Amino acid sequence: MTFTLLIQSILAGLTNGFVYGLIGLGIAVAFRGARIINAMQGDVALIGAVMAYSASVSFGLPMPVGFVIGVVAGGLTGFLVDRLMIRPTLKRRGSEDSLLLVTLGGAFAVSAAVLLYFGRDSYPIPGIGGNDIVDVFDASMRVHAIWLIVISLAVVAALRWFYAKTLVGQALLAASIDPEGALTLGINVGRMRALTFGLGGLVGGLAGVLVAPLINIQYEMGLLLTLKGFAAAILGGLSSPFGAIFGGVLLGLVESLAVVTISSGYKDVVSMTLLIAIMIVLPQGLFGRRGRLGG
Amino acid sequence: MTALARSATAHLWTGMLMVAVLLVWVALPWFLSRSAIDILVFTGIYTIAGLGVSFLLGQCGIVSLAQSGFYGIGAYATAYGTTVLGLPIPVCIVLGMLVSAVIAAAVGVPVLRLSGHFLALATLALAIIAHVLFLELEWITGGTLGIGGIPRISLFGFTFATPFRFYYLVWPSAFALLLAYSLLLRSRTGIALRAMRDAPAAAAVAGIPIASLKVRIFVLSAAVGAFAGSLFAHYVSFISVDSFAIDRAIGFLLIAVLGGVRSIPGTIAGALFVTAAPNYLSRLGDIHPLLFALALIVAVIFLPGGFGGFMANLGAKLSSGGRRPSAPAGG
Repeated sequence: MTFTLLIQSILAGLTNGFVYGLIGLGIAVAFRGARIINAMQGDVALIGAVMAYSASVSFGLPMPVGFVIGVVAGGLTGFLVDRLMIRPTLKRRGSEDSLLLVTLGGAFAVSAAVLLYFGRDSYPIPGIGGNDIVDVFDASMRVHAIWLIVISLAVVAALRWFYAKTLVGQALLAASIDPEGALTLGINVGRMRALTFGLGGLVGGLAGVLVAPLINIQYEMGLLLTLKGFAAAILGGLSSPFGAIFGGVLLGLVESLAVVTISSGYKDVVSMTLLIAIMIVLPQGLFGRRGRLGG
Repeated sequence: MTALARSATAHLWTGMLMVAVLLVWVALPWFLSRSAIDILVFTGIYTIAGLGVSFLLGQCGIVSLAQSGFYGIGAYATAYGTTVLGLPIPVCIVLGMLVSAVIAAAVGVPVLRLSGHFLALATLALAIIAHVLFLELEWITGGTLGIGGIPRISLFGFTFATPFRFYYLVWPSAFALLLAYSLLLRSRTGIALRAMRDAPAAAAVAGIPIASLKVRIFVLSAAVGAFAGSLFAHYVSFISVDSFAIDRAIGFLLIAVLGGVRSIPGTIAGALFVTAAPNYLSRLGDIHPLLFALALIVAVIFLPGGFGGFMANLGAKLSSGGRRPSAPAGG
């Protein structure tokens, strides 16, 4: 392996890693605020990407407007997921399995709806800075990928601030750690859950509009994104925003090094095997038990 | 009426119902079009594969999305064995079940230590791995080109070449497996499974080997899935990687959830829905994946017992004059 190839694969792994991290971030937000694994997270990103594509390419709106529409659509989807699926399931005392099956069903529904609307083709979408490229030690990286990394880090910082410093963020954590206690303090637990899913949806929509310029929009992309994002989130302790990004980057790097050393066809085999191994060996993530409690 | 007489009458009615069902089953293909029989053949194949998923979910609390992988292993084993190696069909079918069982055991020992959403997502990851391998291991599977010319099954010089004939092969197999699973449910193992599902801690204290029992049921389900895959391969005589993608895994899970995971015969109803719906909706384009996904959501939220549970509840309600029935234990 030449030095340039190594740098190139590290850059690719870094970019993919931040994508997985962004998806994992949304999963971590939902888990932190509601103790529920949202298996739709990758498909929320798909919705964001599709809406951004429709707004900017089909309707000719300026790209930034399309991006905003995509992000908002993600947030709205998250909110609807809570109202239409999570709430009725909880009302009927559905088990953990039921909640997962319902969100999995939601994921399949989104993918099927996109198939119906868009067909089996994949759709390119322009990124920030178009197709401009930066040189790093003779290897190349798209300007858009740098923006993706910067925005991801900004979102993590914003979430940290939100949970630690704002009243709503604190109420949200209280509602998830001790729902009954929070209720006695006058916190509307149901509303907090809706807010959590809305927030997770916004992060998902953002992930979608940021990832679409790199991988093209395709109806099947959501499920793999969800699983890789889930692996990233577990590595980071399942409820920590920073941990999810860190886990995502680690996963992305391992995956892209595997691609150069083994074969690109087996990329998903590597990442799915890693996901299973992580769940078995490191269910508490890399940072120990503390992260899962949301503190 | 004495209790004895009442139970004798009940048995008589059950017996007559069974005979009637049998007669309808035998006569059905004579009155149906070729395409309708084709749907019923697929219903039979999917019933077999769905049984494994349903039993895992209902009796062990294991959500398995990996069945499409085992189904594929069965299909590819029999296709490769008959067309490339030239082995006899029964040997290939058994080979597929064995390969599936060995892989399920090897994968099941680590993976079944997981529970809840971790386990469900792990099986989904397994289905994706299987699909990629079916695509990449071209020297066995033929990749996207697939394998053609898979021979028809024949027994004593009678070839099961048409949907009409295959109907009489697949359904006895499905009924035999339905019966076997029912017996398993009523056996000591079945009791142990229910104990494990409803009170794992107590079951462990009672000396039930939880980990190994889960693996054994998973292996059984994989072998049954492979059997269904083999039947599929011999029925359609051409297979490609498209038949073993994630949507197949969703279909099998939907069969279990719709049919009612605690109800073994309910599986047939689930399988009929999953086979017939796409066929009648095909003129509307690719609409059935959306319908399947929505059906999965609605069934999980509103019909946790599936068709089978719904019918059992209804029956119990009618016979007990509206008294609230106890949860159906199975069967």
